Amino acid sequence: MRFVDTSALVDDRPHQGVFRVHRDVFADAALFELEMENVFGRTWAFLGTESQVAKPNDFITAWIGRTPILVARDGAGKLAAFLNICPHKGTQLAHAEQGNAKYHVCAYHGWGFDPAGKNVDIKDRAAACYPPAFEAQNHDLVPIARVTAYGGLIFGSLSPEVPTLDDYLGELKPFIDMAMQQGPHGMEVVRGRVCYTYRGNWKLQMENAMDQYHLTSVHASYMSVMDKRRQGEGHTDAHQFDWNKRVLQQSGMFNFSHGHSVTWINQAEVEKRPIYPVMDEIRSRVGAVKADWMLKAKIALIFPNFQIADGTTLNLRTFRPISVGLTEMRLHCIAPIGEDPALRRWRLRQFEDFFGASGFASPDDAACFEAAQRGYAARPYDWLQGYSRGITSLRDGADEHAAQLGIRPVASLAGDFDLNCETTLHSPYREWARLMSGRSSGENELQS
Amino acid sequence: MNDSLADLARLISIGTALIQQDGILLDERRWDEWLELFLPDCTFWAPMWGDETGINEQTDNALSHFFYESRKGLEDRLVRVRSGKSPASTPLPRTAHLISNIAAVGTATVDKMTLRATWVCHVLFVRSRTQHVFFGRSEYKLEPASAGWRIRSKKIILQNDDIPSMLDIYCL
Repeated sequence: MRFVDTSALVDDRPHQGVFRVHRDVFADAALFELEMENVFGRTWAFLGTESQVAKPNDFITAWIGRTPILVARDGAGKLAAFLNICPHKGTQLAHAEQGNAKYHVCAYHGWGFDPAGKNVDIKDRAAACYPPAFEAQNHDLVPIARVTAYGGLIFGSLSPEVPTLDDYLGELKPFIDMAMQQGPHGMEVVRGRVCYTYRGNWKLQMENAMDQYHLTSVHASYMSVMDKRRQGEGHTDAHQFDWNKRVLQQSGMFNFSHGHSVTWINQAEVEKRPIYPVMDEIRSRVGAVKADWMLKAKIALIFPNFQIADGTTLNLRTFRPISVGLTEMRLHCIAPIGEDPALRRWRLRQFEDFFGASGFASPDDAACFEAAQRGYAARPYDWLQGYSRGITSLRDGADEHAAQLGIRPVASLAGDFDLNCETTLHSPYREWARLMSGRSSGENELQS
Repeated sequence: MNDSLADLARLISIGTALIQQDGILLDERRWDEWLELFLPDCTFWAPMWGDETGINEQTDNALSHFFYESRKGLEDRLVRVRSGKSPASTPLPRTAHLISNIAAVGTATVDKMTLRATWVCHVLFVRSRTQHVFFGRSEYKLEPASAGWRIRSKKIILQNDDIPSMLDIYCL
């Protein structure tokens, strides 16, 4: 494992009100390789939802960084996760994104495995003249170091040295609850493969969702469409949010340990939420505070590459690193199990209108990511200036909004929408620097 | 050729010309004329793939790239195209639609016909100077209207659903 001196990559001097990130963080191929080991190899990654592997022998395939992962529920109902490769020759084993299989058989030489990862067949074993050394080897699938679920979300880690998932998620857990408790019977993934790539670094998406500053510039064309919808014209089936109202709202953020952060905006048009008609049930089940927070627009970043986006329509989102300048986006539109059919249609039309490559929003974000990635080639240019908004408004610990939720973030901030803070990015880059430089946990207690 | 066969051939020819106009008008950015090809209460539907093995077959509980139950959804897309404010659409990508393998589905009559087509859309994303080819097949339901035949519904299956950032209405 190799580490780098991150002082030349993340300039973090809170007492001087300075936070800068170097352009190389997004554009240097050698740093990208180190990220695969130091960041993706030493954190928890979102693998899928429990609803996707609800039945015995269900499986999904996922990624941690560039490592392919197989998540399977065995015949007895136990969940496990493995490297999605056959131990024979390292060939990718399961190819479907999801399915149900009593055995996973490698297409190459036919070795077979059960969903608990046990090797159940080596083709033509009896005739193989295997030496004792081979027989002594373990031919089972390689389990990953950790796999645990919280709130219906499955996370995995390649490293045994990560904190428990509970500690890793820490004070952010209520934001997972706010998403996964919207349905009285749990949440399910709506069928539909929302997948697209952009020619830019994975951290561009990491930043974008936590950055409200871009909304009125990047999504100006969406706001033009909403001008028309405000008159009752156009595709009003989408129940889309009018940002003219949104930009007048109070908003804020929290930074958490382990690189996570949350951005929130009060929701001007709560009635456009597909859960709005069933708020009484939700309120009786989760309480008034959590129910009100469910209606707010908010996005939670679970470092490094998982977001729970609930600003427009609720969705889970990963941004998978393929190379330093190429990333794959995957979205899961999640919805309450047993949702009323009319509300489900409402939810889907709203989601389709905004998200994915055919939506009104994502392509414009991606165009800016690609422009940024092209811009990083410029010389001489090193330190980016996009991490200062809100610095003088940050406060340590909980503000009144955090107190209302009963959480203790590392830092909080709240104000008018126009504040458009960039401090949500301090938490992930601090954690990035800690992992890339090899500092231990104890040394991460930098002032917020 | 007897009369009924000639009539049928003429009908298919009219339908073929109409669906070719779909691609031509998009390529030439004649947006208002393109919109006019569609009946006001048309359906425009491009389902998403559910997973690798199957395309979604309904819209109540499965996602679509586009699903509009009237022409209004298409009008909204044109607002964005014409706004000049969409980074992904500025400069506007250039397209070339190739529509082929056109065949009637069922029997075409003077009241209605259903045609299927295979389509390929080459796109140059000018801003990033990158090219992509989208391809798939479509099914059109066509009806005669006062000014000529029009599109009652268009269902598009995008075969290659690994998308480089943008799939806009003129890419299908």
